[in-house]
Amino acid sequence: MTTKGGRTNTMPKSARDKIKEQQAAARARERRKRLATYVTTGVVALAAVGAGWWYAAMNSRSEEAAGRLAPVSIQPDGSVVMAQAGVTGPVVDIYEDFQCPACKELERVSGATFKNLALEGKAKVVYHPITIFSQEPTRSNSLRAANAARCVADGKQWMAFHDLLFRNQPSETEPGFTPDQLKAWGKEAGVTSPGFDACVTQEKNREAQAAYSKKILDGQKIQHTPTVKLNGTEIDNGVLFSPRQLRDEITGAAK
Amino acid sequence: MTASSFPLSPKATMTIPWVTTVARLVLGGVLIAAGGLKIGNPADSVVAVKAYQLLPESVAVPVGYALPILEIVVGLLLVVGLLTRVAGVIAGVLMFAFVFGIAWAWANGLRIDCGCFGGGGQLAAGQEPAYLLDIVRDFGLVLLAAWAVRFPPGRFALDGALGLEGGRRDDEEDER
Repeated sequence: MTTKGGRTNTMPKSARDKIKEQQAAARARERRKRLATYVTTGVVALAAVGAGWWYAAMNSRSEEAAGRLAPVSIQPDGSVVMAQAGVTGPVVDIYEDFQCPACKELERVSGATFKNLALEGKAKVVYHPITIFSQEPTRSNSLRAANAARCVADGKQWMAFHDLLFRNQPSETEPGFTPDQLKAWGKEAGVTSPGFDACVTQEKNREAQAAYSKKILDGQKIQHTPTVKLNGTEIDNGVLFSPRQLRDEITGAAK
Repeated sequence: MTASSFPLSPKATMTIPWVTTVARLVLGGVLIAAGGLKIGNPADSVVAVKAYQLLPESVAVPVGYALPILEIVVGLLLVVGLLTRVAGVIAGVLMFAFVFGIAWAWANGLRIDCGCFGGGGQLAAGQEPAYLLDIVRDFGLVLLAAWAVRFPPGRFALDGALGLEGGRRDDEEDER
């Protein structure tokens, strides 16, 4: 009885099962397809982010610093010329403030390019350390740092000091570039002249720095730091922070 | 259907997807604009991130390079409604991080531009930070992101067209 009854029921049931199985299989296929679409889209989006990131990083990749420098000479007005003997152009004028974060970023990204181009005799690079800040504590920080840089008489030492100042730039919200720090960095940069410490603490060049900054800011119409001019024309920010483009632009101006 | 598991009036089930669409478009549009204005100038982006003095240099630099493109991609996903839930979560976390960053800058007395739409860094003399406005805006965007995550994907969404989200028939299996 049971076997017979079971048999009569089995037939339609198995057909129903089959349909159910097929439906389940179709649903599973659908799910797999959805998952594949989901994962593919996710991977493409991730790849786009990765590619953009990589491009930005590559575009901003610094040149390897040669380690050696072209001759550096300090001018009476406080500007500093870095060029091989006899190289008069193209002229690259760098207007920067030791306290300005964007200038620090410029030195980090493109500092080596300026030094290398000068070393290769492909440009005459002129540094103009100015004080653009008008508020405290940034103004005094900047003036103290620039004063100390003016206390350095040797070109090579000046460049080492300049690099140290940017590397150790203080926050813009608190007093920094203290006399003790500046004296220590001077030693680190190789400054040995006996008058350096007194020159730093007494801020002997503060007035000269303030006057020079005013003259440059007004005369060169500097709106922001860093400003870099190539033969008198301001270099676009996008180029300035892309060492490869920067090199092309400067070497291109020589032709 | 996702909506059927909530005791919602028919009117709400009609309205919710449209609200999601609006949230997606606003949030995505803001992200695309913010990323687009920054992407041409990765250095500015790095300086803006550093200005918060929250991250060490070694972290701030890659973050500065990654932010613009991340904002653009997430913004695009939201606008077309693709991977709505994931994009919404990322956008929400981003906006929340911005709220935190701006609040941090405010609490620490920094005088910076938030750098939200390019620029950024220390303000010039005479400029005042707009912290409250920035925080209110970004927090509003956090709420929009939360909505998009809660009720994805809304109308006019590729997720819907591809059957990726919303209108699932086997939701009960995913929720288990």
